[in-house]
Amino acid sequence: MRTALICTLLLSTQALAGAPTVDDILKKYDAIMGPTVFEAENEMTSTREDGTTRTYVMKMLKKDSDKFRIYFTGPAAVKGQEILRIGDNAWVYLPNLKRATRIANRESFQGGDFNNADVLRVNYQADYSGTLIDSDVPDTWCVQLKAKNAETSYDAITLYVRKSDLLPVKGKYFGTSGKLIRSAEFTDVKELSKGFVRPVKVVMHNELVPARKSEMVVREMKLDVEVPAQRFTQTDLGK
Amino acid sequence: MALLKLAVRNLLRNRKRTVITLVALVVGVSAMIATRAFINGFRGMIIENQTRGVLGELQVHHVGYVANVQSSPLTIDMVDSPEVRAKIAAVPGVGVVSPRIDFGAQLSTPDRTPPHEDGSELPEADRGTSTFMMVTAFEPALEKQVTPRRWDWIGAGRGTMSEAGDSTSLVLNDDFARALKLELLPAGAALPPVERQAALITGDREQALNGENVVIGGTFASVTANDRRIGFLPLALAQRLLRMEGRVTEYGLTLEPGADLEQVKAGLQAALGPEYEVHTWAERIPFLTDLVETQTKIFNIVSTIVLLVVLLGIVNAMLMSVLERVREIGTMLAVGMRRSQITRMFLMEGAVLGVVGGVLGIAVGLLLVLVMSQAGIELPAPGAKVASVIHPTVEPFFVVRTLAQAVIGSALAAILPARRAAALRPVEALAHT
Repeated sequence: MRTALICTLLLSTQALAGAPTVDDILKKYDAIMGPTVFEAENEMTSTREDGTTRTYVMKMLKKDSDKFRIYFTGPAAVKGQEILRIGDNAWVYLPNLKRATRIANRESFQGGDFNNADVLRVNYQADYSGTLIDSDVPDTWCVQLKAKNAETSYDAITLYVRKSDLLPVKGKYFGTSGKLIRSAEFTDVKELSKGFVRPVKVVMHNELVPARKSEMVVREMKLDVEVPAQRFTQTDLGK
Repeated sequence: MALLKLAVRNLLRNRKRTVITLVALVVGVSAMIATRAFINGFRGMIIENQTRGVLGELQVHHVGYVANVQSSPLTIDMVDSPEVRAKIAAVPGVGVVSPRIDFGAQLSTPDRTPPHEDGSELPEADRGTSTFMMVTAFEPALEKQVTPRRWDWIGAGRGTMSEAGDSTSLVLNDDFARALKLELLPAGAALPPVERQAALITGDREQALNGENVVIGGTFASVTANDRRIGFLPLALAQRLLRMEGRVTEYGLTLEPGADLEQVKAGLQAALGPEYEVHTWAERIPFLTDLVETQTKIFNIVSTIVLLVVLLGIVNAMLMSVLERVREIGTMLAVGMRRSQITRMFLMEGAVLGVVGGVLGIAVGLLLVLVMSQAGIELPAPGAKVASVIHPTVEPFFVVRTLAQAVIGSALAAILPARRAAALRPVEALAHT
């Protein structure tokens, strides 16, 4: 009885010390990086091997946690392109083909260093299971995540979040062979809409081709939006 | 001369032993010749598949392309125009010039059934997929003259590669096409509606996403284990997909008969200037040099062992011969024959064995090579559908070297027995029973 009491006390002290559960961390990550419903305007700047950069402008719509739509508005070469994700399926609509073709989760997103799932499929609670490990970055918690299914963006992720508010700081992303293929920094914490605070810039470094990186910046994000269900159907693409 | 006569007679005294020793020599030498010819033939087959099936004899790129070839860089490209092609073709020794683009793309296959009315998901088996593949784009009419082997492989697959300028027909590895459950469009048939066509999706030259509808016009049979996710596309379609109209990444060239590869390479480099780089086929397949080096090393080790075993047989036979002829040697020494003459006699016996065995071995070996090369050895590479045929050949220098090895080796093998014979003391030898 006494032992039990001491144990309980000890456990609660630890809880008081503030170690969050993995669930807490993933829940927070999903809530800010992939809210269930939102409308956003993003810019992605990709730097290539030869040092040249290219900036893509896009509008994003999300609903029901697994429905996603992207409209590319610039540059001219990709204007009119659209991406639709419903559950495990994703399509790209190309205006010159006037039709949608299937794309896969781990393909590069617009030729940059994010993959399609990085953008279209932020649902770490559903896709990964993890354990809390000792962090080598000061003032952060570190979780080691393992993919639960084959549709995820990576096989394993090491995610670092701030101790103060659980906002992500950096991530390391591993491929099938356990090889480090990408690493990301989350910066520029801002209030995007009332009470909604998150890093608005994600810099994804390509660890296989070190000269390459892509930056995704959220220009605007609204959570209190009503998006018609029609937007998330194949027949709506290109309209 | 008398020594030679004596040596031959001595050898003929114990025919059985001489024949057995000779057989060992013949087998050893002919095996060396045949193995060498097989290795040469294997190398020739790889070269043939590469030069006449993939690369061409020479390649022209924008400078820096080959150093970055792993990432198939589209920005390290060249203007392609009739003038550029004419400039390349004007270099003495250049035959046909075929423009190409190599690139990676996603092949997105169509759903096998129309989408459900209510928008619900198709069953997984009916959904299309998206798979990464490598594409080589060219003008079939030109490429056919540079890499005719490709058309052997297409001939062993299904369908054909359309030569029509506006063709949207992709030719895929046959196993790859089957795995993706892609159906072939029969020649002359009308195109299916776009939503039933496959599409190639990839970043263009500026890495902006682009796509083109394609139909599967033909397939080629697998030749090597690593040509699965590969396809051929008409150049014009690839240029539209990559937004590279009037640009290519590579020219594949043939040589005119009798032209010297290195001379033509130098001529091309001089004519085109420092903006371009010229490579011979050998420079594009460094793995071949490694492969041949490894094979040659292994071959040298094995053949040295074989030769050693055969020569040890000769040592043994000669030692036996010395032991049997102790009294005879004693007599020779007693009547005034010099020790050096005794040594030379045995060395000559060894050399005669070497000459006869070597010549016979080479005759048998060359006969084997002739038979193998006329019949051709079909060698299916692991996972390949089309067998590659090996035509063994052996170079004259190697034949001469092997003969020399057999003769000198046999003579050297006789040294120990000869010295033993020469060291006998006449009195003791005569008393030997």
